[in-house]
Amino acid sequence: MNKMLARVRNTAIFASGISLLALSSAMATEITVWSWDPNFNGATMKEAAARYAVTHPDVTVNLVDFAKADLEQKLQAQLASGTTDGLPDIVLVEDYGAQKYLLSFPGAFEPLNGKIDYSGFAPYKVQLATVDDKTYSLPFDSGVTGLFYRTDILAEAGFTAADLQDITWDQFIDIAEVVKEKTGHPMLGIDLNDAGAVRVLLQSAGKWYFTPDGQPDIAGSATFKAALETYAKLLQAKEIYKPVSGWTEYTGGFTSGEVASVFTGVWMTATIKAADMSGKWGVAPLPKLAGVEGATHASNLGGSSWYVLSSSAEKDQAVDLLAEVWGKDVDFYQKILVDQGAVGSLLAAREGEAYKATDAYFGGQAVWQSFSDWLAQIPPVNYGIFTNEADAAVAAQLPTLANGGSVDDAIAAIDAQVRAQIQ
Amino acid sequence: MSRLAANLRAALVYGLLSLAAFLSIFPFFWMLVGTTNTAADIIKGKVSFGGALSQNISNLFAQVDMLQVFWNSAFLAVVGTILTLAVSSLAGYAFEMFQSKTRERLFSVLLLILSIPFAAIMVPLFVMMAKLKLINTFTAILLPIIASVFIIFYFRQATKAFPRELRDAAKIDGLKEWQIFIYIYLPVMRSTYAAAIIIVFLANWNNYLWPLIVLQTNENKTLTLVISSLASSYYPDYGVVMVATVLATLPTVIVFFLLQRRFVEGLTGSIK
Amino acid sequence: MAKSRIGRAEQLNGWLFIAPALVLLGIFMIYPILWSLWMSFQTGRGMNYSFGGFANIIRLTEDPVFIRALTNTGIFLVVQVPIMIVLALLFAAALNNPNLRFRGFFRTAIFLPCVTSLVAYSILFKSMFASDGVINDLAMVLRLMDAPISWLGDPFWARVVIILAITWRWTGYNMIFYLAAMQNIDKSIYEAARIDGVPAWARFVYITLPMLKPVILFTTVISTIGTLQLFDEVNNITLGGPSDSTLTLSLYIYNLTFKFMPSFGYAATVSYVIVLLVAVLSYLQFLVARDRKA
Repeated sequence: MNKMLARVRNTAIFASGISLLALSSAMATEITVWSWDPNFNGATMKEAAARYAVTHPDVTVNLVDFAKADLEQKLQAQLASGTTDGLPDIVLVEDYGAQKYLLSFPGAFEPLNGKIDYSGFAPYKVQLATVDDKTYSLPFDSGVTGLFYRTDILAEAGFTAADLQDITWDQFIDIAEVVKEKTGHPMLGIDLNDAGAVRVLLQSAGKWYFTPDGQPDIAGSATFKAALETYAKLLQAKEIYKPVSGWTEYTGGFTSGEVASVFTGVWMTATIKAADMSGKWGVAPLPKLAGVEGATHASNLGGSSWYVLSSSAEKDQAVDLLAEVWGKDVDFYQKILVDQGAVGSLLAAREGEAYKATDAYFGGQAVWQSFSDWLAQIPPVNYGIFTNEADAAVAAQLPTLANGGSVDDAIAAIDAQVRAQIQ
Repeated sequence: MSRLAANLRAALVYGLLSLAAFLSIFPFFWMLVGTTNTAADIIKGKVSFGGALSQNISNLFAQVDMLQVFWNSAFLAVVGTILTLAVSSLAGYAFEMFQSKTRERLFSVLLLILSIPFAAIMVPLFVMMAKLKLINTFTAILLPIIASVFIIFYFRQATKAFPRELRDAAKIDGLKEWQIFIYIYLPVMRSTYAAAIIIVFLANWNNYLWPLIVLQTNENKTLTLVISSLASSYYPDYGVVMVATVLATLPTVIVFFLLQRRFVEGLTGSIK
Repeated sequence: MAKSRIGRAEQLNGWLFIAPALVLLGIFMIYPILWSLWMSFQTGRGMNYSFGGFANIIRLTEDPVFIRALTNTGIFLVVQVPIMIVLALLFAAALNNPNLRFRGFFRTAIFLPCVTSLVAYSILFKSMFASDGVINDLAMVLRLMDAPISWLGDPFWARVVIILAITWRWTGYNMIFYLAAMQNIDKSIYEAARIDGVPAWARFVYITLPMLKPVILFTTVISTIGTLQLFDEVNNITLGGPSDSTLTLSLYIYNLTFKFMPSFGYAATVSYVIVLLVAVLSYLQFLVARDRKA
């Protein structure tokens, strides 16, 4: 009953327009952080806060979590309004969107050069948060890619781990066809509305939708053509994949045991391990684009970083939290790797114990070591500010390509749409 | 009409209604079933009850302060509905009862306001609320929705069926305009009000974009925001999401169930 | 008309009764709307914008994505709104019959979709229409088709799924307005007609429909606006795909504002396309409603 009354009173306070923030600011320092998955990045920040509190007992971290799309809406609306009321001290931003925010809202984020030693982080993560020689992020989780596959299904089709080392996409399709024929399992789940795979292929060869100076690099790019041709070939081999729509069905494909493999970012590990298939999974390097200069087995999908808002009242404390824990605590990175499966971008963390450990779920493979090796090989590219626009243009062509449409026509259409959109 | 034809027609009506009822209830039923299943079963589309209900409930309550969140949503929905109906039904009534050229033009302008996507006016609205120091308050959520063009329009259209003779008679009896509205119009139009309460309650309860932008702290979040955040993690626990969605649905179903009787009573009894 | 009867006191009351609504709308709608109108003449990235004159309007005509979104929205409007309005009217008429059994049950059932959570029903719709979902299984068993249809992977069928989803969700909602309005019709008119031997369908067409006209007009205008602003279903079920076949104007505005490089000016311009369409369509709908009265 008393609790109910307290609620009524709280509501009355809100209704009269006095914000709770104003009431609490007189007390100890509180750092407000926005993130989007309480079981993943939210949990890692909670761990960081606990470690920081040991040396700074007066500092507390207030985590507010939103859906990722919700967080982006909120941040964008508030930055656009020009009022800094209610903005957090630290916010998580997905890497693809970093340049967009930095360039659309100049002055909103705090450069951290001199406070963070960027030479200790994976170079591609640093580059994507850099504008005019100033770097704005504390690089967080990497989207380093790999090919997760079901060892038992592949074995049934007559393949071993060695058969997946150093292969091209053409070889991958051949293997997938055998797997389908011998076991009945589709090799992949593919969403024709998602262009993530094309991004993975492009970056594996060190290219992007745009040149480093921001011009479209689509029509006339040999790498783009090779990436799209390769993906079209995969899409046209309809028997090897299960068509899915949306995230739930996509992840449901392999967590239910139906789909035999998935090539994606390392952050998918937790999802794969949530299914009950210990000992049946393995990780192989990403297949490579054939005949393309600079093609590698390493790429990236997604990933995110922490940014400090310039308007923050607790700016120095927030930067210090990032520098002290996220910037150098190798032990912290072992902890979040084990607990959340989060692969950070601090290179020194790779020397820690947890990264060397083997995982029974993956048949005793030292998966983290593999991922951190690939992480160091990811070709850095400049995502630029129009990745989402280009992505939408590519996705619009995928159904046509799957039905045997011409790759050259698709490239022309994508190029035209991107040019129309980037003004 | 022959007996056979009548029976055939009845069979057709009941058949179609039953089909529609089945299609309408099934997803709702599935949502209820989902509260008892694990995330993996839900994704597979399992349609039978499972044993994960207590686990899902305790997971939800461990992650979210449900009592607080539910209270926030309920407060906004109830207060919002009362204020919206008071302000907007009055205006709708007046637009129809007291017509003038100026107000007719004004009414057409209001209709256009209704057609502007909220995304287009959200940023300036946020700036206004910041200047009024109302960020992170419930006041900021309620202020822009109390005067609802949608409800004004609805009451105006519904008032066209209101018998003007009643008002004329009341005037002869010496009632003032506000008395006519409260003592004559309100009781006569109760089925219209019942429909409006359902519609406005539903809209306020599910209000999403504006609360998302305005509310900043976990303590102030509404149920809709919490569900959105639960449903979109990298590996959402749909069992927990289903429990939350059922809790989010119940109040509207109850409001509807209590008010739907109004749709059969109508203009009967003392007033006429 | 009522105008001629209205006296000075009623004029005053007319303003007093709408004053609270008008003040609130004036403060919290008019200013933001003027701001967005001004924004629609600005071009630039994020908060770095400058006056661009009619640049945004020119951009509209050259933007293939906008044309696609406009076409899709038009298709949804033309196909879906009439189906839904007719269905809602038929359900309301059937459920208004006092001799019908289980009325309360049917009413509640048909209303349920609009309270069923969007999250729950979009997961369910996606799983039902998945390539190995229950719809395909059923159709194969019944031999309605030879090979499973990729409902959400095919531009045509994805539109069909969206139309089904909106109709499913909003028919019961519209029905409520009709049911409420039917209570305001004098029962004695029906009695007289029945005694005169007027068949049920004729009573519906010649008594019910004309009496419901203001509310039918209301729901048509509201549904038109709702469809022009269609967002929830496409954002949750298809994300506008495949091949942008279910991309709506509202989803495009959302992308321009939140997902793409924020171009608030251009997004505002697209918003005013919706306003313009609503203005034209509502005017036509009011005109049709008036004609029938004469």
